[in-house]
Amino acid sequence: MKASLFQDVQRDPDAAAERLLHRAHNRDGLPEIVIGVILLTLAGLESMAMVSPPGSFGARASSWGLVMIVAPLCGGSTWLIKWARRRFLIEKAGYVELKPVSRNRLILAFGIAVVVAVAAAWAGSRGALPPSSWVLAGTGLIGGAFTAFAGRLPRYVAGGVIMALLGMILGFCRLSLEMGFTIMYGSIGMLSLVSGCVVLLHFMRTREDQ
Amino acid sequence: MSETISAKIQQLAQIDRVIHEPARLMIVALLAAVAEADFQYLHLATGLTKGNLSVHLSKLEGAGYVEIEKSFRGKYPLTICRLTKVGKEVLDRYRKTIKCAL
Repeated sequence: MKASLFQDVQRDPDAAAERLLHRAHNRDGLPEIVIGVILLTLAGLESMAMVSPPGSFGARASSWGLVMIVAPLCGGSTWLIKWARRRFLIEKAGYVELKPVSRNRLILAFGIAVVVAVAAAWAGSRGALPPSSWVLAGTGLIGGAFTAFAGRLPRYVAGGVIMALLGMILGFCRLSLEMGFTIMYGSIGMLSLVSGCVVLLHFMRTREDQ
Repeated sequence: MSETISAKIQQLAQIDRVIHEPARLMIVALLAAVAEADFQYLHLATGLTKGNLSVHLSKLEGAGYVEIEKSFRGKYPLTICRLTKVGKEVLDRYRKTIKCAL
């Protein structure tokens, strides 16, 4: 019997349940791998749009790529993760289905996003920095806060802090939106992909040992 | 003051004994954290032996706290467990009693 789990459950069942939920969700690294692939695809499409002249094949391919590749990837990512787990991981690690995200959390995340957007718009209107800088900094802060808030595990919190810092640095370097987003999505996507692969490898090795 | 403390402590005597057992409390806490999980996941997460886990799940099912659904995934049996509404209420009551008393 796992003593630490029992101690946690007795001390604070709510906190233990919450921690277990996040551990269950993130134990195989698949969500990070999928997020990494989505962000790297976004970075690729952004850079393609950046180097292609308006109306060219590259610019159109970039726009279509957002609709035809990124949107289905985002929409189908939950299904994809569930399918991969059922197909390859159930026999090794068992099956676990997550609870849906609570409405309160969604409302809170939306509220934070609105507050940051309003603050960025107000700061932009004062002309201290170009609006694109505030958009980049705001995206980094919102994305970082959401990553840390949703993931809860230390590696997610670290990822969220890195994203927030990167957003602010890119914003204050006065880069264009395309360039800023390419760097941000590319770096965070790569980080997420590498972290997910490491977790998945560790997960597979641990399960093989048991 | 001492009467209030005494009343709080006395509430412990009314704790649900089915859920109070450490192994069953772990199972219920695990199932409370997710929508549903299979036998293998519970076995790995709790560290209980398969026989022990099976006995505890039967007791929880008998008390109406856990719902067990047996099916097959290909040739392999798949036992899916989820907490019932009664189970959630009992865990909530248990948590409140423990917090109140300690």
